[in-house]
Amino acid sequence: MSENESNEPRTDGSGPGIVAPDDEVPTWRERKERTTGLSRVTYEYFERARREDQDLRQESSYVERDVLGFPTWPHETIRNIALASFFTGMLLFLSAMLPPHLGDVANPAETPEVILPDWYLYWSFGLLHLDPINPELAIVGGEKIMSDELYGVLANVVVVGVIAILPFLNKGSARRPVEEPFWAALGVGGVVFAFTMSILPIQEMFPWEVAITFDLAFFLPIIAAAITYAVLKTMREGYMYDLNRRYYRLRPPR
Amino acid sequence: MSLERKDEHDHGAWLAEKELSLIEKTYLMSLIWLDKRFRIVDYLELLEDMYYKINLQMPKSHTEQYNLDNKFWYWYPLYALGSFSVIAYLVAAVSGALLGFYYAPATGTDGDPIAYETIVAIMKDLNFGFMLRSIHRWAAQVMVAAVFLHMLRVYFTGAYKEPREVNWIIGVILLSLTMLFGYTGYLLPWNQLAFWAGQIGVEMSLAVPIVGEWTAQLLFGGFSLGQPTLQRMYILHVFVLPFVVTALIAIHIGIVWMQGIAEPH
Ligand code: HEM
Repeated sequence: MSENESNEPRTDGSGPGIVAPDDEVPTWRERKERTTGLSRVTYEYFERARREDQDLRQESSYVERDVLGFPTWPHETIRNIALASFFTGMLLFLSAMLPPHLGDVANPAETPEVILPDWYLYWSFGLLHLDPINPELAIVGGEKIMSDELYGVLANVVVVGVIAILPFLNKGSARRPVEEPFWAALGVGGVVFAFTMSILPIQEMFPWEVAITFDLAFFLPIIAAAITYAVLKTMREGYMYDLNRRYYRLRPPR
Repeated sequence: MSLERKDEHDHGAWLAEKELSLIEKTYLMSLIWLDKRFRIVDYLELLEDMYYKINLQMPKSHTEQYNLDNKFWYWYPLYALGSFSVIAYLVAAVSGALLGFYYAPATGTDGDPIAYETIVAIMKDLNFGFMLRSIHRWAAQVMVAAVFLHMLRVYFTGAYKEPREVNWIIGVILLSLTMLFGYTGYLLPWNQLAFWAGQIGVEMSLAVPIVGEWTAQLLFGGFSLGQPTLQRMYILHVFVLPFVVTALIAIHIGIVWMQGIAEPH
């Protein structure tokens, strides 16, 4: 068999087997541009976004440094392995020192005196005990519009829902608690609320009246929030002054 | 006419004319053999491409840009809490898989429930079993604690704000699922605590109008507790939740990687 020197396409299975793109074959970009409908708008948007990105980069006065951090290997990796081993070691130590116990076997006939979930659900369990503030409607003859259980379930939904929408309520670039005393106070109040709700299921076990515990469960978070607010507001002036001075010395306003 | 091709793509000839050590030769021969079948080179290119993308220089962080890093941000250790959740999750997964070899989610008909008995057996008869259960419990407890504290650190460093809303919401879902993980696991020993915690669960779902009874049927297998409840909790705990939570954690951390850690001012 003689070697075929010419570039004529061959049909015997040899040769590159790939048709080189000539003028007839649309490029990838042209293909995209010819599309219609959703893929077309997607493409157009990406083009725009890429152009915007490029423009912003060209405009920026941002100076690249040669080294922007320290290497993943070995520095970061070794540090992470060390941290992870230490943490796992602590876990094993805890397991060896404080083994769990296995309570009595399940007995549907005998209700235990104290029913409690695991500790991390105490707050949720506490929210099921809000029946004293389940509103009664005068129109329906002083009856509650919903059962106490449903009220408790809704309270859980509301708490989780409020946490979920936080990023849509508080925007902006402030990060440190002193910059936003209100939101820091809300956070501290929320944490204390989780703790006070946790004691509601055992409110009968205190040597004073139940109503006092119940009221405290709502007042303590408010008091904690108020104290946080006051402290941060007081700190704020001096602190922000320092922070701004540093900040603007390094980056004078235009 | 021979079927052998004699051109520059004759890798065999190329290999023969090179002076190679035994290791190099074996390696190259297996590589060529595999490449002829699977076209590995294409995938290598893909990997190479990914390698360079991953190693792109990240944009300068806030602290770097304004040279604020000479002031130590003493909350930085708390930024490890997310990773600690992951580590505790992994430890729980491994110890849980081992526990699963010995546990049976059955209530049985007479005598103590089989589930309870298998756990007694794990603790008393199985070598290292007591420790295994202890590790699993503590890993779970520590994971929940780490997740709560991680949420607090994200809140108090303002890291949840625009543009990280999506990760915050994924986080809230992860927190709920972590607690659900704990709850379903809490029911598995089928002891008094488990049974009555389950009872509260059923009552809670029954309190909800319209979908309540349906939910109780679906999750607890009826309006009173028994074998169906235990079996459902088991499947949720060892099948459904592991997949969902692992996937969500991957997405969560992927998003952190894309968006970067929110730097404090
Ligand atoms: C299974 C549970 C979770 C795991 C494994 C996890 C893991 C992580 C990790 C490894 C990070 C990187 C930064 C760091 O470690 O602090 C992170 C960041 C983040 N997490 Fe989580 N997380 C979990 C739950 C949550 C929860 C409950 C929330 C909030 C409700 C949340 C919201 C966030 C946000 C907003 C970031 C970005 C923070 C920043 O950019 O500084 N995560 N997560």
